[in-house]
Amino acid sequence: MTLQHHHRKHFTVGTVFFKFVLYIYAVVNLYPIIWMLFYSFKDNMEIFTTNPFGPPQTLRFENYVKAWETFNLPVYFMNSVKVTAAVIVFVIAFSTMFAYATARMRFRGQTFLRVLTMIGLFLPLQCIMIPIAVLVRDLHINNTLWAVIVPYTAFNLSFSIMVLYGYMRSLPFELEESACLDGASIWTCFLRIIVPNVKSAIATVAIFVFMSVWNEYNLALILLTRDELKTLPLGLLFFQGEYTTDWGAMGATMVIASIPTVLVYTLFSAQVEKAMTVSGAVKG
Amino acid sequence: MKKYLGNKAMILALIAPTMILICVMVLYPLVILFTKSFTEWDGLNPSTFKGMDNYIRLFKDPIFYTGLQNGIIFALVQTCIQIPVATLLAFAVKDSGRFEKKFFRITYYLPAVLSITVVAQLWLSMYNAEYGLINKIFELMGLEYRQNWLGDGDSGIVAIAIVNTWQFTGYQFILLLSAANSIPEHYFEAAQIDGCSKFKAHLRITLPLMQESYKYCLIIAITGGLNAFATMNIMTGGGPGTSTYTLTYLMYRSAFKVGNYGYGCASAIMLVVQCLIVSIIINKAVARERIIY
Repeated sequence: MTLQHHHRKHFTVGTVFFKFVLYIYAVVNLYPIIWMLFYSFKDNMEIFTTNPFGPPQTLRFENYVKAWETFNLPVYFMNSVKVTAAVIVFVIAFSTMFAYATARMRFRGQTFLRVLTMIGLFLPLQCIMIPIAVLVRDLHINNTLWAVIVPYTAFNLSFSIMVLYGYMRSLPFELEESACLDGASIWTCFLRIIVPNVKSAIATVAIFVFMSVWNEYNLALILLTRDELKTLPLGLLFFQGEYTTDWGAMGATMVIASIPTVLVYTLFSAQVEKAMTVSGAVKG
Repeated sequence: MKKYLGNKAMILALIAPTMILICVMVLYPLVILFTKSFTEWDGLNPSTFKGMDNYIRLFKDPIFYTGLQNGIIFALVQTCIQIPVATLLAFAVKDSGRFEKKFFRITYYLPAVLSITVVAQLWLSMYNAEYGLINKIFELMGLEYRQNWLGDGDSGIVAIAIVNTWQFTGYQFILLLSAANSIPEHYFEAAQIDGCSKFKAHLRITLPLMQESYKYCLIIAITGGLNAFATMNIMTGGGPGTSTYTLTYLMYRSAFKVGNYGYGCASAIMLVVQCLIVSIIINKAVARERIIY
């Protein structure tokens, strides 16, 4: 305790240096994002010559109106919402079920099956992009949003199963015993007793899946070719399109697209960081 | 009880959706990838077996070597910047006050929650030769120095790697911070009572105890660099010429632009092999023993 106290009181050269580094890096991280936010309210004149760095002189909300009305943004946004919501629901349903069977029930080969699902954690997704594209076409789900919902669900299962399995193993086995004695069916026991007990793990999984699906680019690029099916990361590709010259409106679309993840992150930063730490720790 | 937990119909119903999805969307594609890499295939019609042809062509393809080299440069830039910076930040934040801690954590991780498209386009506008933020800053400092950052092949791949590095340093920082926080405080206190300086205590105690986390960070940074795709696809599309190609981009282009699926599969197999080699080397070299405290 005294040691800590001793530390706090003295501002050595080292402490000052570290503080300096921390704030400089915060600027390096934040300023580009703030710059983007600034230019989403400016017109080209202001961005390019009169006021490239500072806050906008007038808030040109018309950039946002234009972004929303002319760039097909509502369609992309809704596609992202639909895809993300569907994947979250499917991943949670399937992985909770699978984790329950392998963590609490007894059957032959349960460890083998669980380890088999872990392959998704170690396989770089890009590697199987080609067969996935062919498969999606052969299943006739291209030209619908299912083209991405199905593979996204499959790839996100591994992580959620791992997290949920860990949680379910830590629950006491008396839960099932008393449920069984009370005459509850195994299904009731699963839904009414186990699921409520792993709520916090389910929340972590939901946030993790939200973050990864909302921003997914690689698979969407090859699977969603029709404009009306595009999700935000694809629909936003302005620099390859025709609107490159209108920086203000482009900035506005980028800000709109970023709001959901930034909001979820600032609200649930602790859970997001926890999910990321766990997923990082399994890559090794 | 045994009957209760061994209910076959229930087990089948519980595991079926997951098993079907994993088999169809992960395992089956892997098998297809492997078998089709030995064939000539346009993705539509039945393929014809060609033995090692694709691999021989790949090893003779100059773009394959460009891709490999760019992957290595990408991985080096990421690793050499992310890991030292993330380490420095993690240790500095660890000793900060509560409010500062929260502020820095959110600030540093923020770029990682943005979509890759947003980040790539934001940096395209920063790199822009005429109006970009970076050249403007040079102008502000009175320097006449201007550069078309993405216009030339050598600086191009580094410029793209910097973007990815910027986006994901916060991720490495979070991993290292949580590792540093999980080390019991008394190890550190004991060292200080023994008259050890803070720097030395970190160097000798904290860093070695965190080696397992460094292993993850290394694997993520290196394989991430070798597999690089999205950022370069948006920012340069492989150009100018083929100078910023990566292996994933070669795979993508072979299959989806040129229609040579077999060749694409062979390049994808090379990607898998490359990542396996890196993971095996790092696992052998770093943190062989699990540390428990």
